[in-house]
Amino acid sequence: MKRIENRYALAVIYLLLTAYAIFSVIPFFWTTIQSFKTPRQANSRVPLFIFEPTTDNYSDLWLKVIPDDPFFITIALVAIFGLLVLIAINARRFPIARGYVYLAVLALGFAVLWSIPGYVKTQTFYDYFLNTIIVTTGTICVSISIGCMAGYGLARYSGIAGVVILVAALGFRSLPGMSYILPYWWFGQRSGLYDTHLLLIITLVAINQPFTIWMLRSFFMNIPKEIEESAMVDGANRLTAFISVIIPIMWPGIISTALFTMLLAYSDFLLVRILTQSNWTLTVAISKYAAGEDPGHITLAAAAAVSAAVPIIIVVFIFQGQLVKGLTAGAVKG
Amino acid sequence: MKRRTFYMFMSPSLLVMLALMVFPLLTSVWLSMQYMTFRNINEPEFVGLTNYVAVFEDLKFWNAFTFTMTYIAIAVPMQIFTGFLIAVLLDQVSRRIRGAYLAAFLMPFIVVPVVGTLMVKQLFESGGIVAWLFREIVGSRFIFTEQTVKGLILVHALWAATPFSLIVFFAGMQTLPHELVEASMIDGASRLRQVRYIMIPHLRSLFVFVGLISIMDSYRVFDSVFVLTEQNPIYKAEVMMLYTFRTAMSVQRLGKANAMSVITVVMILVVLVPFLYRTYREQTEER
Repeated sequence: MKRIENRYALAVIYLLLTAYAIFSVIPFFWTTIQSFKTPRQANSRVPLFIFEPTTDNYSDLWLKVIPDDPFFITIALVAIFGLLVLIAINARRFPIARGYVYLAVLALGFAVLWSIPGYVKTQTFYDYFLNTIIVTTGTICVSISIGCMAGYGLARYSGIAGVVILVAALGFRSLPGMSYILPYWWFGQRSGLYDTHLLLIITLVAINQPFTIWMLRSFFMNIPKEIEESAMVDGANRLTAFISVIIPIMWPGIISTALFTMLLAYSDFLLVRILTQSNWTLTVAISKYAAGEDPGHITLAAAAAVSAAVPIIIVVFIFQGQLVKGLTAGAVKG
Repeated sequence: MKRRTFYMFMSPSLLVMLALMVFPLLTSVWLSMQYMTFRNINEPEFVGLTNYVAVFEDLKFWNAFTFTMTYIAIAVPMQIFTGFLIAVLLDQVSRRIRGAYLAAFLMPFIVVPVVGTLMVKQLFESGGIVAWLFREIVGSRFIFTEQTVKGLILVHALWAATPFSLIVFFAGMQTLPHELVEASMIDGASRLRQVRYIMIPHLRSLFVFVGLISIMDSYRVFDSVFVLTEQNPIYKAEVMMLYTFRTAMSVQRLGKANAMSVITVVMILVVLVPFLYRTYREQTEER
């Protein structure tokens, strides 16, 4: 639509937009501030904006014993992960296939994360963080591998069965989670898989599968048929053509879908809450900070909330381009 | 692509969905006819439809049902209206500034629901910034009661779910045909009339889409209500999902909880079936 030129009307528009932006952001802003306060400062009668920040809440949350040289360790970790992220972003420029670069980066990152408790005494919160990483990565890998094949099939097959599968999948995705999570619980109890990562991963894959196949299908539909057809003329069968020709040009779509799968797996609460007893993920672990009687719980809850939000915000920041692509390919199209 | 190849590509995904979505749903129906607590998981006792009768006679269930419906009736129109309004306003702003606003608007959408709820709750805790404003304006302390917790749940719903409708409407507005707008300008239509007679009809299908998705999401809301009622269980502020959860995990009436979830599934079919039919028609037309 043509823009408004009246200056007063524009002022009102900016005012409203800014007010809504403040409404959106203020919980983040305030929680971050609270997380750097002492319980006394956080409970003060008049909200404090100027105070001496303390990192006690974060060290209480993550560490049992504060190491001798926390500064050095922080810098080293930031440097290592910064380097890994840089490599991942520039994966295209390496002479080997992109998949291998991502794998190497992941392996190195895991090695570093798992070696940390060897040097620093960490709290159980760190274990929950590691659980989250295992579950999220596992879900992404399985979900994307089987989802890619299904999405490709759905994009290329023109029979009615494809539409029926898509619509049925959407229907299942729209049901309240309880209707299949309680049976999962029962199954987990009977099979002994209750409270294991494996159960979490397979169930998360299943409940995210409908979304994954819809999104990947829309990416595959943008790839012209001629590409794999020419490979098949040269003698490749469909599976080889798919793996060696289609997948390499699908990376942007795969990354975008993986990102959404990650957001879904990371933020799932109900399923993890019901299917685990001690092997919690971060989302479940921080929910126990929702209630508390002692005055320190507010600042600890703030630190926990910020700690769980930061990884997501970093990932979204790195991949924001893909996120927008995914939104326009998936949700908005419907 | 041949049919056989299609099923070959489809089979792993299809297998997972059959085994972990269709089969559990059937199991749920079977479980709903058993008497089962944590002690007799391996040998449940068949009780027929007793659990369903128990659910229908349960006042707490009807309380949860009423609150869920109230939640949908308030939250969904609120999200759609605010999302549409902000999208219209954002459409008037120059491209460079849009990005910054969008980034701010999308923050609640990206953050984990439980974390977002904790963050909103921080504002209302003692020492929180809204609790302070409340005391300055109203004169009394902000306390968590049934009414305020319900209000808080709705404020959180507006905060967390509006970005979705906002981004869908905003994307839809970008596809508005220029000729229509220009023709109406020549005819001397005012801006409000343009919104009313050109933009809203153009976005009609998106309104339906956002409405259906919001209704279904609100119907199964759990995370935020769980976090906000954790303080001291306020049972009247429970939604159906939460009551089912507590029946299963705290009271350990697993059969009854399954009966409840079967009932909730049957109830949502009213919205779900038209939605699926619409999608089906769209998809068959697209091919």
